[in-house]
Amino acid sequence: MIEIRIHGRGGQGGVTLAKLIATSRFLQGLSVQAFGLYAAERSGAPIQAFCRYSEEPISNRNLIYEPDHVIVLDPTLVGAAIVAGLKAGGWLLINSPQPPEEFASQFARNRLATVDATAIARDNNLGTRSVPIVNTALAGAVGRMLAFPLHEVCAALEHLGFKGPNLTAATRAYEELRLLESPHDVGPPGGLAAPADERRGPSILEGAGASLPALKTGQWATEQPQRRQMIPPCNHICPAGNNVQGFLNALAHDEPDEALEILLRTTPFPSICGRACPAPCMEACNRIEVDGAVNVRQMERYAGDHGQVTTEPLAERDERIAIVGSGPAGLTAAYHLARFGYRVKVVESGPEVGGLLRSGIPEFRLPEDVVAREIDRILGLGVAVETDHQIDRQALLELARDHDAVLVATGLQEQRDLQLGMDGTEAVVQGIDFLDHVHRGDARVDGEAVVVIGGGNTAMDSARSALRLGARSVRVVYRRSRQEMPAIREEIHEAAEEGVCIEMLTQPVALHEAPGDGVRRRYRLTCRRMELGEPDESGRRAPIEIPGSDFELACNRVILALGQSPDVSVFPDGTEVRENSQLLGLLETPLFAIGDLATRDGTVAGAIGSGRRAAVHIHNVLSGAQVRISEHADALRDVDVWSDEVIRADALKLHLFERQPTAEGDSLSMAARRSTFDEVHMGLEDASEAARCLSCGVCNECDLCCTYCPEGVLKRVGHHLEFDYAYCKGCGVCVTECPRSVIFMSHL
Amino acid sequence: MPVQVITGNHAAGYALSVAGEANRTARGVACGIYPITPQTEIVEYVAKFPFSKGRVVPVESEHSAIAVSMGASMSGARAFTASSANGLAYMAENFMVAGYYRLPIVMVAVNRTLGPPWNIWADQGDTLMLRDFAWLQFYCEDNQEVLDTTLLAFRLAEDQRILLPVLTCMDAFIVSHTQTETALPEQTDVDRFLPDLDLPHRMHYDEARTLGGLAWPHEGLSMRLEIDEAMKRVPDVYQECRESFTDIFGRDPGDVIQRFGTDDADLVIVASGTMATTAREVVRRRREAGEKIGLVKLKMFRPFPDVALREACQSATRVAVLDRNYAAGAGGIFWQDTRAAFQGHRDDVLIQNYLTGLCGGDVTPAVIDEILADLTARAEAGDPVWMGIETGRETLQ
Repeated sequence: MIEIRIHGRGGQGGVTLAKLIATSRFLQGLSVQAFGLYAAERSGAPIQAFCRYSEEPISNRNLIYEPDHVIVLDPTLVGAAIVAGLKAGGWLLINSPQPPEEFASQFARNRLATVDATAIARDNNLGTRSVPIVNTALAGAVGRMLAFPLHEVCAALEHLGFKGPNLTAATRAYEELRLLESPHDVGPPGGLAAPADERRGPSILEGAGASLPALKTGQWATEQPQRRQMIPPCNHICPAGNNVQGFLNALAHDEPDEALEILLRTTPFPSICGRACPAPCMEACNRIEVDGAVNVRQMERYAGDHGQVTTEPLAERDERIAIVGSGPAGLTAAYHLARFGYRVKVVESGPEVGGLLRSGIPEFRLPEDVVAREIDRILGLGVAVETDHQIDRQALLELARDHDAVLVATGLQEQRDLQLGMDGTEAVVQGIDFLDHVHRGDARVDGEAVVVIGGGNTAMDSARSALRLGARSVRVVYRRSRQEMPAIREEIHEAAEEGVCIEMLTQPVALHEAPGDGVRRRYRLTCRRMELGEPDESGRRAPIEIPGSDFELACNRVILALGQSPDVSVFPDGTEVRENSQLLGLLETPLFAIGDLATRDGTVAGAIGSGRRAAVHIHNVLSGAQVRISEHADALRDVDVWSDEVIRADALKLHLFERQPTAEGDSLSMAARRSTFDEVHMGLEDASEAARCLSCGVCNECDLCCTYCPEGVLKRVGHHLEFDYAYCKGCGVCVTECPRSVIFMSHL
Repeated sequence: MPVQVITGNHAAGYALSVAGEANRTARGVACGIYPITPQTEIVEYVAKFPFSKGRVVPVESEHSAIAVSMGASMSGARAFTASSANGLAYMAENFMVAGYYRLPIVMVAVNRTLGPPWNIWADQGDTLMLRDFAWLQFYCEDNQEVLDTTLLAFRLAEDQRILLPVLTCMDAFIVSHTQTETALPEQTDVDRFLPDLDLPHRMHYDEARTLGGLAWPHEGLSMRLEIDEAMKRVPDVYQECRESFTDIFGRDPGDVIQRFGTDDADLVIVASGTMATTAREVVRRRREAGEKIGLVKLKMFRPFPDVALREACQSATRVAVLDRNYAAGAGGIFWQDTRAAFQGHRDDVLIQNYLTGLCGGDVTPAVIDEILADLTARAEAGDPVWMGIETGRETLQ
């Protein structure tokens, strides 16, 4: 009977090599055994495997103490211990690129053989480059060493399902094996396997593992967890660039002041946006997939209305900056630049600071005192303002000469017209102008039948204002359908609730005077029915006239709210006015257009974002700073990887969240809504809605990972999440349990 | 029949699977499984086997594994499972229920040390812990015996005269993880050997009945006696099954005890599992040198084959009982039952217990020689001898 001992490392295929040798003999009709020594072996740990073969049935059920031959799969294992018990004259086969002569002096009593099985395995793509599997190659080497014909080795390989590259490797090793036949001397076997230990071991009272060394099981891991932060969709889409996750997280922790402070890093108008923003964040909110979006708008309002924060400039600088226009874009730029420490002057053509913030949004949506409060915060930073000061082309050049930077934020001044035939008369008024009169308190529509043409916020605001001022009827005429109306969804809904009649798919064609009734002027508005065709350049389906569908609406007034366009006459003819584009390039002074003038975006949030981007840019240019604008929520805690990916609902564990519908808050009674300009939305009484935020892709310290770690190698210390990588085996339970995909497995 | 080089676990998985498959013409197979080193490859095998009728249910624990197997058996399916050491301990609560319900479940157990301390190597204490619970127990010394005995177990268990569950055991790693040539019977032959399972007390959808409900003392007593009567029929029924097996598969699965050189033996070694293999070689060598020495391999442990054991030791004056197990406060378990079997029948025999191979120690021929030297030199039997370790020192200061 022949006995062979194999030394290797876990993962190199030592046990399988034993089986291959055994199988090659079994196929020749011998009796065989193949087994490994099992204990705490794992990838990379030293292991032993054994093989016996004999012409006679094998009745030896013991371990192998005096092998006839020894095979070593990994040259780093070579040492005196590997020949313990090896019979004198037995073969020692080592996987090594060195010739057997190199080992002759160390192993004088044995025949030596070497082959570079590692190189052969790599050449045949067996295993990986860092962990090549050498056993099939060595099977070939063993065959040659023990004088088996190559075909018997190959038969064994094929019998066990090893094909192609394994056969090639075995054949090559068979051929390339280098042998050193004669041992230098023959003596008794040295270093027998340790005799059975007859001494008493430790008592259980000492702890049976007392003699075991600490096992740094972290070495077992092939991948380990790390923390990443992704971008929540709300942060990504917010036109103002707010850290939505951040302020919601602060509110959820009952910190309205901190919430406001976070908002004020980007926007000076939380109370305003909390009332007037179309809230694209809510449309992108991943919580929609659970039970409804988080009411971010109401939460921003809450933070703006209840938080207490003092804002001060962060520095004092000498540079002077002029801003033309005090709408939301201009004021936001002023706010940020003043905070950076610059000396800012805002020039406003109208009588009031705030532009459309004052007059363009009626009181019942945006109360006067809210606007005043937020504008005062900006002025409190030391921003100087000149009202009733129109800037023309010449004046603009002077501003550029006298200041270190100029921003033009004049918004959209030109209002679109519709050639109905009575333009310029009392019959027709532009929506913006109408709202301005409403704001000043001198709009009169008592008892009138009012027709509003348009589908945007101005149309809705005009309609709802007219209703409150006592109009007998208010009808909105819009040429596409409800889906295409650009106004905020909720606004359309509220207008209809209040009694505004909305005529969809209706195009006004002509306006004629009708016989008066002695009280007021009367008009006939000819309208034509429309249907929707293919989308046009705006992306919306184009309205197509239905011939012969004309009808008439009687009215006392027509309000046009068809949208606006920028007045670029202050710039030289042919100037391309858009964001980021240095205007009046011959001047050295940085001069940019911001807000609706540059983007035509039409929302307060968009204007805020534009103003802030410009302010940061100007600051970087003037001071050499490198302030960057990021969509990431600020990290309060360590993050290993900042991912720029926006996290969607499919990456969240939605089933972990308890169902709770969106809190909407109360509204004013319908009677009051129809007759007063009191604010319709009463806001939410508390910030519990903020706790519905899923904190997508941003760690909010819920600690589920720590709770579920089966090894107890994960704990949070303050804001720092500590992974004990010395013991983390990379099981990945923390990854599975994190509801918001903050933890991921990183390959080692 | 095809011969392959496979492990003991593979052999067990194969036997359980083909046995289960054989019941496809009746209620099929169903069972619960749970892995534990060194048995895992058994449950992996059966989990992958493409049963024609029925399925294997992976569950969350051994307790549930046997529970599922019991439910399956009660509804008439052929059921089996496998476990080891602390897994068997976790099954314990349901284990005797299977016995007392007289459900013909077959379990393959890989004998591993019960922890603590934590130890994965061979020791028979785990299955012996459960020896009182109406299961038949067989200890096998190699792959072929594991395979054959497992098949035999179904035939035996399901025999209407027996209707008791059966445990077949093998030493951890020495058998379970060692690859040797093993003959694998064909499904068609297994189909012939194992008729459809017909459980007289199976549950039926449309027939309300209670199994194992409240019983008064006298009823309980009758049920215990019923089990004893079934146990007493095992030796004869075993022989019938053994004959049928030999007939169909062309190989003798072995008797409940296996004798080697005992006819004229003065010294007899009683051993089980792979220790018996090693002891047999020592006995063979010594007999060739003229010694009157024999080996009794105890294959069946429950019911304890006292009659056959005494018969085999007729000429013996000294008996060494090897135990790869230890019952705290009493000694080796095979030794206790052996002494009880001889008491009042053969009080003249010196029966000495040798505790060897516990917790996975390697029982080599040298150890057997030491044992025989001690047995020969003894004046009288004494306390169990702990092989391979110093004894007699105080452990507490």
